[in-house]
Amino acid sequence: MINRLLATTALALAVSLSSALAAETDVRIVLSEDLDLLEPCMATRSNIGRVILENVNETLTEYDTQGGGGLRPRLAERWEQQPDGSWRFHLRQGVTFSDGSTFDARDVKHSFDRAMNSAMTCETPRYFGGMTVTATVVDDHTIDFAADPVQPILPLLMSLVTIVPEETPVEFVRDPVGTGPYAVTEWTPGQQIVLTRRDGYWGEQPAVTSATYLFRTDPAVRAAMVQTGEADIAPSIAQTDATNPATDFSYLNSETVYLRVDHSVPPFNDVRVRRALNMAIDRAAFIGTLLPEGTEQAVAMFPPTTQGANPDVKPWAFDLEGAKALLEEARADGVPVDAEFTLIARTENFPGVTEVMEATLQMLQDAGFNAKLQMFEVADHERFYSKPYPADRGPYVLAAMHDNNKGDPVFSMFFKYDSEGRQSGVSDPGVNQMIAEASAATGDERARKWSDLVAHLHDEVVADVLLWHMVGFSRVSERLDWRPSIATNSQLQLAQIGFR
Amino acid sequence: MFGFIRQRAIASLISLLGLVVLVFFLSRLTGDPAALFLPIDATDEMRRQFREIHGLNDPLAVQFWHYLGDLARLDFGDSLRRARPAIEIVLEAFAWTFQLAVITMAIVTAAAIAVGALAAFRVGGLFDRIASVTSLVGASAPDFWIAILGIVLFSVTLGWLPTSGTGTPLHWILPIGVLFIRPFGLIVQVVRGSMITALSSAYVKTARAKGVRSGPIIFVHALRNAMLPVITVIGDQAAALLNGAVVVETIFGFPGIGKLMIDSILQRDFNVMLAAIMVTALAIFLMNLLIDLAYALLDPRIRH
Repeated sequence: MINRLLATTALALAVSLSSALAAETDVRIVLSEDLDLLEPCMATRSNIGRVILENVNETLTEYDTQGGGGLRPRLAERWEQQPDGSWRFHLRQGVTFSDGSTFDARDVKHSFDRAMNSAMTCETPRYFGGMTVTATVVDDHTIDFAADPVQPILPLLMSLVTIVPEETPVEFVRDPVGTGPYAVTEWTPGQQIVLTRRDGYWGEQPAVTSATYLFRTDPAVRAAMVQTGEADIAPSIAQTDATNPATDFSYLNSETVYLRVDHSVPPFNDVRVRRALNMAIDRAAFIGTLLPEGTEQAVAMFPPTTQGANPDVKPWAFDLEGAKALLEEARADGVPVDAEFTLIARTENFPGVTEVMEATLQMLQDAGFNAKLQMFEVADHERFYSKPYPADRGPYVLAAMHDNNKGDPVFSMFFKYDSEGRQSGVSDPGVNQMIAEASAATGDERARKWSDLVAHLHDEVVADVLLWHMVGFSRVSERLDWRPSIATNSQLQLAQIGFR
Repeated sequence: MFGFIRQRAIASLISLLGLVVLVFFLSRLTGDPAALFLPIDATDEMRRQFREIHGLNDPLAVQFWHYLGDLARLDFGDSLRRARPAIEIVLEAFAWTFQLAVITMAIVTAAAIAVGALAAFRVGGLFDRIASVTSLVGASAPDFWIAILGIVLFSVTLGWLPTSGTGTPLHWILPIGVLFIRPFGLIVQVVRGSMITALSSAYVKTARAKGVRSGPIIFVHALRNAMLPVITVIGDQAAALLNGAVVVETIFGFPGIGKLMIDSILQRDFNVMLAAIMVTALAIFLMNLLIDLAYALLDPRIRH
């Protein structure tokens, strides 16, 4: 214990000294939750990705959500699909890892195989579900990925695989080594992580020399830290704290709030009832009141910056009388519209969720629905969210929030709308077919097919009750030239930060 | 004395074992850690593998048997979330909480005893009234409100102190200040009440009649006899701090054991949860032992 106390005291002095000596090009970023891991194969988890993704561990490709540039080269200079459907990636030369070793195709193969290894519980396999992918080294700077079935978006999927050296063990590491412009130079769990700019990076040298990540749970404290100069960026603060137009910014955060409806359970198996649900909710009334200005009404499960977004699909107009008429019509046909159902929502899902759900419930009741509200914490909510759905629960409509900032609807559509989708309420062979066709398509045809599916689900199937694309708030020091974007939810590239 | 300590140690060991059994099985009722650790769209196979790797597919009795075996070797297992030995994580956090608790309680004890004793000396006087009102307000003020108010006033408005963190001695002032208020209010009230009783006793009247000055009467004669209930309350408050000051740790970003315990419960990180409870239970046992020894030191009747 005495040793620990001495070590803690020494650390405090070191931190104090380092604060005093901080350069003007050092930045401090205050995050809402402490990191439990710094494992590269977990970098698609937003709290980890914000620190290491593309800062420490890079990917072969990179999806430009911020600039709208689509899929861009990163560690792969180019790629092409082979006649057999596999993808060949030509790797960047002259790249080194932060441990001094040289980057080559064997590192890529090891990174992929390691991330997919069942001995580890990485995030990566979730994106490669339903397919078998084999990596084959062609030469030092060329690697083939063969997928069964053939994957048209394999280059996009490679933007989710972080590259580590071949020597990295098949277990979670605490000192990630990567090819990125920064290296982890200090990690004091619960307190701070320091990334330092490294020499020998293959790309342009970033302006930020070092970044210290701090962790504070309370949003008011995070906002205050930027205000007092203790931090430069607080990527997530509360709406109520975002009061200074010079430093506080709102941004679409890639989260979509919706009500999932199980089409197999009466009365929701009747499309008129699903239409009535949509028409009963005055989405616009929430914006600027219970939800921040900038929140957008949703017509799809993914944000409008994603390929396949359909600008022709319009949000359901609030029409209380229309909803009542539809319910009356269904009732006359014997649909049990008076059956009680539960609106299930998750506590802490987003700021003000309880008030939003209570107002939603009131609107549904006004339209004639016999609904009640139940709020659950995350683990209990999960029992209703994913299949197998509880059979003894009676009819329910589930409020949930879904995040897709990966640039392609495929990361949402199968899970949410296919008959086999883990969180799907839909069982429609036509929809399954459209998802399969869009997933297999490429280029403009892919975008068009997703776009058609969005319209079909929204206007004809009336698959669910899409509500809002949410916004987040950031506070950024006036000395920085940086603005949050839809990517900020999952990554924060230090190389994109400039100084005024 | 050694017999007394041995007796207390055996009783505490039995309590600790009971605690392990209780927490082990109750924690398993909270649900499957795979549901929280893995992404929501993880496949059933990923979930099964996760449970297999962490021994969660075994029957509960088998898991408990393995856990007891590991515990006998002082192996608390690894954290599910952090992939590190649970006891390392817990001891790191406990070191912070321990420092915070010791410093806070030292200041609280000294200040509360002085203020309470002086207030009792002139009951109904100006000092007594001020001390009573401020201590009552302090004892009933909510931590989170005081903490936020402190940040707004001393950090944002005046710029005197950092908002949060642990880097320099200045970082400790606000957390200690917030933690100080409630136990200070409580202990002042107890010291005052206990001292009023002591000061009205026959031996104090005799001392006054013999011309002994106020200082020695208060701090030598009366205070020693008034300390027994005060020590009980100090022990109670210190135990609460050793369990972790969750609100203060959360707001000020102090990586202490209270926040760690809450996080481990919410994340179903069973090994960390059990290790944290064991460490704090052990600390509280040691502290209770110290309090018992302090009783014996102050009151010869207990010694004999």
